[in-house]
Amino acid sequence: MAKPVNVSDASLLKHDRQAVRKRGFGVRKHMLLYLMILPGFLYFVVFKYFPMGGLIIAFQDYQPYRGIMGSEWVGLKHFVRLFTEPTFFMLLRNTLVLFAMNIVFFFPLPIILALMLNEVRHKFFKNSIQTIIYIPHFMSWVIIVSITYVFLTVDGGVLNELLAAVGLPKISFLTSSEWLRTVYIGQIIWKELGWSTIIYLAAITVVDTQLYEAAEMDGAGRLRKTWHVTLPAIRPVIITLLILKIGSTLDLGFEHMYLLLNSLNRDVAEIFDTYIYTAGLKNGQLSYSTTVGLFKGVVGLALVMLSNRLAKKMGEDGVY
Amino acid sequence: MKKVARKARKTGALLLCTTILLLSACGGGASSNQAASGEPYDENSKANISWLNILHTASPPTDTILNKIEEKTNTDIQFSWIPDASKEERINTSLASDSLADIVTLTLLDNSSVRNSLKSGLFWEVEPYLNDYPNLAKISEDTRRSASIGGTLYGVPFQKDLARNGVTIRKDWLDKLGLETPHTTAELMEVARAFTEDDPDGNGKDDTTGFVDRSDLIYGAFKTLSSYFGTPNIWEVSADGKMTPEFMTQGYVDTMDYMKELYQKGYINQDFAVTAKTDQQQKFAQGRAGIYVGAIFDSKNLLNMAKGIQDDMELVLVNDITSTGNEADRAIWAANNGIGGLLSFPRSEVKDEAELKRVLKFVNDLLDEDVYALMTYGIEGTHYTVDDQDAATITNTDLWQQEVQPFSASRPKESGFKIHDADPLKKESDKLIADNANYAVLNPAYSLESETYNTQGSELQKTITDATYKYILGELDRAGFDAAVESWKKSGGDAIIAEYESAYKEVQS
Repeated sequence: MAKPVNVSDASLLKHDRQAVRKRGFGVRKHMLLYLMILPGFLYFVVFKYFPMGGLIIAFQDYQPYRGIMGSEWVGLKHFVRLFTEPTFFMLLRNTLVLFAMNIVFFFPLPIILALMLNEVRHKFFKNSIQTIIYIPHFMSWVIIVSITYVFLTVDGGVLNELLAAVGLPKISFLTSSEWLRTVYIGQIIWKELGWSTIIYLAAITVVDTQLYEAAEMDGAGRLRKTWHVTLPAIRPVIITLLILKIGSTLDLGFEHMYLLLNSLNRDVAEIFDTYIYTAGLKNGQLSYSTTVGLFKGVVGLALVMLSNRLAKKMGEDGVY
Repeated sequence: MKKVARKARKTGALLLCTTILLLSACGGGASSNQAASGEPYDENSKANISWLNILHTASPPTDTILNKIEEKTNTDIQFSWIPDASKEERINTSLASDSLADIVTLTLLDNSSVRNSLKSGLFWEVEPYLNDYPNLAKISEDTRRSASIGGTLYGVPFQKDLARNGVTIRKDWLDKLGLETPHTTAELMEVARAFTEDDPDGNGKDDTTGFVDRSDLIYGAFKTLSSYFGTPNIWEVSADGKMTPEFMTQGYVDTMDYMKELYQKGYINQDFAVTAKTDQQQKFAQGRAGIYVGAIFDSKNLLNMAKGIQDDMELVLVNDITSTGNEADRAIWAANNGIGGLLSFPRSEVKDEAELKRVLKFVNDLLDEDVYALMTYGIEGTHYTVDDQDAATITNTDLWQQEVQPFSASRPKESGFKIHDADPLKKESDKLIADNANYAVLNPAYSLESETYNTQGSELQKTITDATYKYILGELDRAGFDAAVESWKKSGGDAIIAEYESAYKEVQS
């Protein structure tokens, strides 16, 4: 779907560039197009760019009743506090480790699943599988974490009962630091795997069938066709999604982690999102939590730019 | 080029105008509303009152009781409910965005942004007016002092029972195993052992534990047990004004050791560190455990939940446990020193003194006997019946839960009325709670100020909470716990101690 739009955009752009040279932005000529972009443009200005002004409270001791104008300026005080906080490196480490695990263990799975679904010839079977694997996406984290609790608790949890039945010691999945990351990634896979295949499946359907025929002529089997035709064809989509995924690096999902977090796994489970909530919002330290959020955003931006540049170096399009 | 630029500027200006117009239109709606309610009040006129209130039940009440209250107090009440679980951020954002109501229920007086906004003069000071109202005049001097911040009372305090915690035990299990009701921590340990190992439900299966606890070191078992070991309530102050946090006392360590023994011997649900309150109560109701430590009045709830599952359940309530067996050592911590929070009146909504007086009159009316009965038991004949001793029996529990229960946390005062519950268990728990007041341990730092505590207190507390859990579960030894305390002191604890000590000295002098 993305492809054709891009093509027409490109030709429009070329056309426009000449127009711009002649008479500015060609507002009059493309009035309708400008009008069409207006709602989206307004949305971004009002809801995304305008609130960004609020970031200046990171440099203040913001007091709600004094307002932004009346609050005291404190320079980099909150940044100094964040970087000297003993928990800072723990937060950064936990966030980055979970992010890396997310990329390594989760990211390839939807691609594999999509390729496998693509090989299923029975239409009805394929469609029903697809529908079933989408379902978990629509459940809230509260439900998923509760289900996991029922399975994993040491007080009569299904899994621990099974372990006990075969004579193995019970494992406290929920209260140990060692298992937190596994449980966390496992839950993400369970919830989002099916849903994430949608874009890949869409990308696969536009692969030129002539390529498959040509490959067959050359004696390629199913695996060869997948490896040499399907995968290269959807590579741009994979790269784009990877960069977008990296963009949301530090957004590991507050709700999910907050539900898993407890006193016994905090050393690996506390991430920036949960920290902003407990240190900032619950304690009412609006300036400090803004600082943490700003830092998180800057790291995310840096990672996107880095991966975009890498993608371009490798001859891909990138996202901008 | 110039022409285009001008055109673009024009378009931009137009856009801006539209935006501003839109924004001001939204703002305008709210302000015109206020203007309407800002007219001078006659004390006896019908008043429109909005109330930002905390909801402790799953869903807000229906209008049945509300209409009655409105009738009795001659008001038109508009509630905005905030679920209890998210009250911190919701109250904080409401304060930050100044989207308040005539009455704001503030329950977290130790929260820094709540404190700051109270001190900033965002709310009316009420002390000078209280004595003009018969019910409000009765609020004791002690309560007024405890609820003050920096010596000023910024709202009508919620008067709660001082100390509401104790131990609920399965009486039928005790009888079956031939055990006495425990009165010392050692006896309680023995009961926990017997409930775990001696098959109290007689089904021949090893499926019971002594305690059932939840992931809460304060309202769960830990803090109540800590009182039995003589631990101070959050802070202890010595005769010469030295402040010590509870976790640096021997009593705290003894409590951790006690919990550790319970955990290691399997006398407590092994997952208590991740158990939610509802799961805890369910487990008790299903007969999987026999000792519940928490609010004493939870017992009635537990018995209700057990109906149809554990019909043999009989409960005994205990509030006189000590570690030494001496009556003189009895102690029980008082949550927030008996202050449930404040009913505060923001100056931005309650514009002038006349309006304030009308709102105070409304709060005063809430304390009337018949309004109290409405908010506690509901409508006579519909929700409850009452005998000639003023003992009320709730007849339609489902309806009561739906229509009445949500109001109970909004009562400015919870005891001291003529009408009382006829339920024997509730009566017993009311008696024990009243008895607890004689042994209540207060937090000497409750109304003191510490800047470091305000900004970093809850972050620091996490260090201690985590270490406590880890000690109980055997992941930390004593040296490890002491290291956590050291780190607490270094990252701000020492400053908190110093600030509290100087604040204490100021109050004493």
